[in-house]
Amino acid sequence: MLKVSGISAFYGRIQVLKNIGLEVAEGSIVTILGANGAGKTTTMKTISGLLKPQQGSIEFQGEEVKGLRPDQLLRKGIALVPEGRQILSGMTVLENLEMGAYHRKDNEIDRDIKAIMGRFPILEERQKQLGGTLSGGQQQMLAIARAILSKPKLLLLDEPSMGLAPLVVADIFKIIKEINEAGTTVLLVEQNARQALRISDYGYVLETGKIVAEGSAHELLNDPRIMEAYLGRKSS
Amino acid sequence: MLAELINPYHLQVASFILINIILGVSIYITLSTGQLSLANAGFMGIGAYTSALLTLNFDLPIIVGILAGTLMAGLFGIIIGIPTLRLQGVYLAIVTLGFGEVIRVIFVNWESLTKGAVGLSGIPHMGREILKTLKGFGFDPKVFGLQNNQFVFLTIFLLLLVITISIIMFFRRQNRSRVGRAFAAIKLDEKAAESMGINITYYKVLAFAQGALVAGFAGTLFAHVLAYISPADFAYHRAVEILIFAVFGGSEVIWGPVFGALFLTVMPEVLRFISEYRYMIYGLIIIIMMAVRPQGLIDVNILNWIKLKTSKRRQKHGTSSQKSM
Repeated sequence: MLKVSGISAFYGRIQVLKNIGLEVAEGSIVTILGANGAGKTTTMKTISGLLKPQQGSIEFQGEEVKGLRPDQLLRKGIALVPEGRQILSGMTVLENLEMGAYHRKDNEIDRDIKAIMGRFPILEERQKQLGGTLSGGQQQMLAIARAILSKPKLLLLDEPSMGLAPLVVADIFKIIKEINEAGTTVLLVEQNARQALRISDYGYVLETGKIVAEGSAHELLNDPRIMEAYLGRKSS
Repeated sequence: MLAELINPYHLQVASFILINIILGVSIYITLSTGQLSLANAGFMGIGAYTSALLTLNFDLPIIVGILAGTLMAGLFGIIIGIPTLRLQGVYLAIVTLGFGEVIRVIFVNWESLTKGAVGLSGIPHMGREILKTLKGFGFDPKVFGLQNNQFVFLTIFLLLLVITISIIMFFRRQNRSRVGRAFAAIKLDEKAAESMGINITYYKVLAFAQGALVAGFAGTLFAHVLAYISPADFAYHRAVEILIFAVFGGSEVIWGPVFGALFLTVMPEVLRFISEYRYMIYGLIIIIMMAVRPQGLIDVNILNWIKLKTSKRRQKHGTSSQKSM
């Protein structure tokens, strides 16, 4: 569905991504792992159009989409939940959800919002509350719910577990799995490697702007070298 | 009876209140995307000079001058809006303030066209032109028991009232539309708005151009109501005055700058003895507002409170009338 090849991106003169290539098959969950500063977020920004890569190509459903603006990519079906859950804190929960459907012109928005609230009961309960008054986990759910309302084919999630309590993290991963089962392809960036790989089909490991390892989630989970370096525990 | 009530001086003040309200709306529009622009005095000047020069030098009808002046200001809005997109907060304020000064300096120095610091006088007066046209059809204000002068100022006031209300209605409507939602989202968080598929470049330039259009429009009205303009009318002081409307009244809702413009134009007229100290008072207002009420006097909470009060009163009214039945 998504095929990224030979991408290089720069911040000023510093090269952040070096010849990145990755593929996301339709209907799968793919995880990009890596330490801080490895270029995970930059990769996401490049795919979603927030950053323009210097070289390489990004193909989405067989179509070259490199250089398109984020709003154009959203119309094509690529939605990003940015790092640090950037919700609109001055708008109510309901307004935030409505903004997610901003580019849609069909008549099923209200129905979809109701459906989403069914899946996230806490958002229904707090629909009149300002987004900024929600807890971290609730804000993350709101950010994900909002992205789903744009009816994406490919959902990009940038560190959805960041700064959340372990119990909430488990919830979030459960929701990601459910979204995937409902038919949305997911590309996930995570530091929480173990939990991310557990729901994923395939994984890439990013290190200082280069892909240093890749494999099925099962392989990565059982690779002692990767376990040691990125999963934070010596293999026994 | 009617004639005694209509005082040209009061009408003139009321007309300037309305023009100031339009200027207040113009800064509100750019602020609603989170951009603080102090160029609106400059845009107002561009509108005023364009319209005045066209009507003076080419004998064009006032309405053509007003349209051309407004569009010219809007065009400058786009020209200034695009390169300043990346600037935020105080940096944008500095650049736009600089732009306003550049415009003023051009008016002062391009003497062959603008007559320099002396300014342009004898600009066709909106009210008098209307009276002249009506007299051509055999109309005489005495039908209403009005003197010419009274009729002229009354016409201007009513015309400006209709224009001002239309502008406020338009932007209130726009606030509830897709455009308004995009503005609000950009103001709250540009990055989040972008990731939701809002083309922030387009909407930010749109807001900037709309602000410029409205300010330019206010400028053309100013020129044809006062019949005399000079570069000093569009100087730094004017930029600060427009800013104060939004700071004092508030910029969260459109009624904020409207109230600010109303109150701050009436105040120096009512309290004549303090009008000399106006700019000192403006400075004080900024400091006090920053410390006590950074969102301005009128915000969403106040509006809701007013709505609640009026709806309660209506309910009380309803029950009492039922009783009487």
